[in-house]
Amino acid sequence: MRVLMVEDEPRLAENVARSLRESAGYAVDIASDGQEGLFLAESNAYDVMLLDLMLPKLDGMELLRRIRQSGHHTPVLVMTARDDKESVVALLNAGADDYVTKPFDLGELLARTKALIRRGKGQPSAVVVIGDLELNTVNRTVQRGGRTITLTAMEYRVLEYLAHRPRAVVSKTELLEHLYDYNWEKFSNVIEVYISGLRRKLDDGASRQLIRTLRGQGYMLQD
Amino acid sequence: MRRDSIQRRLIAAVVFSQAILTAGLMITGVSVTYWRLLATLDAGMQAHAMSVAVLVRYTEDATGNVYFDNSLLPESIDPNHSDQFKVWADRTGALARSEDWPDGLPLQPGANQHWNFTWAGVPYHALRISHVPILDREEGKTFRPQTLTIVYASPTIRIRQQVKVAAAFIALVSLLLLGATAWLAWWGIRRGLFPLQALAQQAAEVSAQSWKLQPPKEAEEIEELRPLTEAMTQMLGRLERSFAQQREFLGNAAHELKTPVAVLKSTLQSLLQRPRSSEEYRAGLQASMQDLDRLEQLLQWMLRLARAEQRAQDSGRRELEVIDINATCEEAVERIRGLAQSRNTAIHLATNGPVPFRADPEDLQLVWTNLLENAVRYSPDGGSIEIAVTHEGQAARVTFEDHGSGISADDLPHIFERFYRGDPSRTRATGGSGLGLAIAKALVEAYGGSIAAESTPGKGTRMTVELPVSLVS
Repeated sequence: MRVLMVEDEPRLAENVARSLRESAGYAVDIASDGQEGLFLAESNAYDVMLLDLMLPKLDGMELLRRIRQSGHHTPVLVMTARDDKESVVALLNAGADDYVTKPFDLGELLARTKALIRRGKGQPSAVVVIGDLELNTVNRTVQRGGRTITLTAMEYRVLEYLAHRPRAVVSKTELLEHLYDYNWEKFSNVIEVYISGLRRKLDDGASRQLIRTLRGQGYMLQD
Repeated sequence: MRRDSIQRRLIAAVVFSQAILTAGLMITGVSVTYWRLLATLDAGMQAHAMSVAVLVRYTEDATGNVYFDNSLLPESIDPNHSDQFKVWADRTGALARSEDWPDGLPLQPGANQHWNFTWAGVPYHALRISHVPILDREEGKTFRPQTLTIVYASPTIRIRQQVKVAAAFIALVSLLLLGATAWLAWWGIRRGLFPLQALAQQAAEVSAQSWKLQPPKEAEEIEELRPLTEAMTQMLGRLERSFAQQREFLGNAAHELKTPVAVLKSTLQSLLQRPRSSEEYRAGLQASMQDLDRLEQLLQWMLRLARAEQRAQDSGRRELEVIDINATCEEAVERIRGLAQSRNTAIHLATNGPVPFRADPEDLQLVWTNLLENAVRYSPDGGSIEIAVTHEGQAARVTFEDHGSGISADDLPHIFERFYRGDPSRTRATGGSGLGLAIAKALVEAYGGSIAAESTPGKGTRMTVELPVSLVS
């Protein structure tokens, strides 16, 4: 999963980004002003956006409006210092999906971010079940047929993304875009490595292959 | 405190004037009635006196003597109380008198006289007619005719009774009218004061949520209430503005405080998320220390602002000494020296003789320090700042000129607002709080002065403070 974080307070941005990377394994891009945020949001595919309101150059509210106007469906979580009714209503009406008020709890921010990603992908529960595969996004564990499978961090991230889009063809580029921050191009050949690693661990002892490769198109997780 | 009521006062005034009117009316009415009755009585008495005069006859001889024929005495005017009379002929003397004529009755001298007296407890009105010719005068008589003097008195008991009845009647009617007036006054005044109640009701609905005072139509139509409604509307406008300012300040302050707290909290939480190396802990703690410093500074600025505003409020009540403005500038330059040196900024102070001013030196130093700090922060490395203190007539002028990035025309009108920052990222980078200029303004205005900024983006900024030095004496 890839997250865009627009926050002009560098230390806060770093802390949140570190937490998202470490606890959820997300790729995080940081924009330190509204214009940069708008540019990144327009040019990359994000699974969720975390947005501060008081931003230099382009106000967070305006940024939100512009993103929504140009038809982006990316879920947006706003980090605001104001928790009065009027400003919350204004936020949600401008197209925000959720909000946390500063100072927020990192754990709460993480849970809300995960929930927004799930909802953005039409996934109702924190535990994704596809056939006999069970993926727990809270404590990042994977089971197949009751058997716990130990994955590396990157393998988990690939599987998680695929699991959030079951029965859909996911291209290698899409995987790269959603798993890495803006330096993703240099990782282009590693996806095959993770996919084969995943197949080896997931399909071990199973009768049916979980991840299908569609030549020239991408990968598909099927039950 | 004694509670009074406009309604009661007005009713009392109306009733009081009505009572005076009634009393006047009563006195007039009773007097007129009395005099009219007396005049009627008088006319009757004259007629009766003439009837008495007719009874005087000459004797048949030629002596010219007269006698009184009391066989045809006229009846009393008041059938219940008998009239009194006495007749004199000028030569014959006293001729006749009524049965119980009061002897020793003082007879007024003069021709036609009216007077009152009381005899045996009965009040009388008396009339004296002199030179009355005797009607019984036959042709051919040669003697000199005699004339008569008649005193006729009639009791006025009936008049008095009639006057009493009239007075009682007038009094009764007046009392009824007085009551009616009082009630009408009460009703009218209540109705008249209704717009005031309507206005009070409207005013009662004003609150911090809804400042609109919609003066009721009844109140707007009333001339006397207009100054009140206008004053109320204006007062509410002022209150609303200052309330909005307070609310905005609170919102801004919350935001300014929450951000460093959010940073601190996130730093500590991300440190605790998993076991870290001691280097990571150290880095995290150092970062937290920096955040705490920033928070502390912000709090200090906010307290300074609060203090500046407090000082502004009771500046008139403090005992202040006369100080030299130049000295406070020098002190401020001294305080900012460290920051200026770290940025290689030169500060030039140009003065022209002492400028005495009655102030707390600490206040002025704070103003200059804030302005200087701003100038240094926005000056390029190796830049220079000029301070000039001049004294012109009634005003001392202190200018701070830097050659830094300047302030954009959009931001210029707002820079003295609390927490206003044209570009938050830039201020964060330079470490300002957004309060320094607001504090300077509050303090300068507390001393009756003014502060203004001119700026050319890219060229620099000039801040001008003017203080009324005439207050020194």
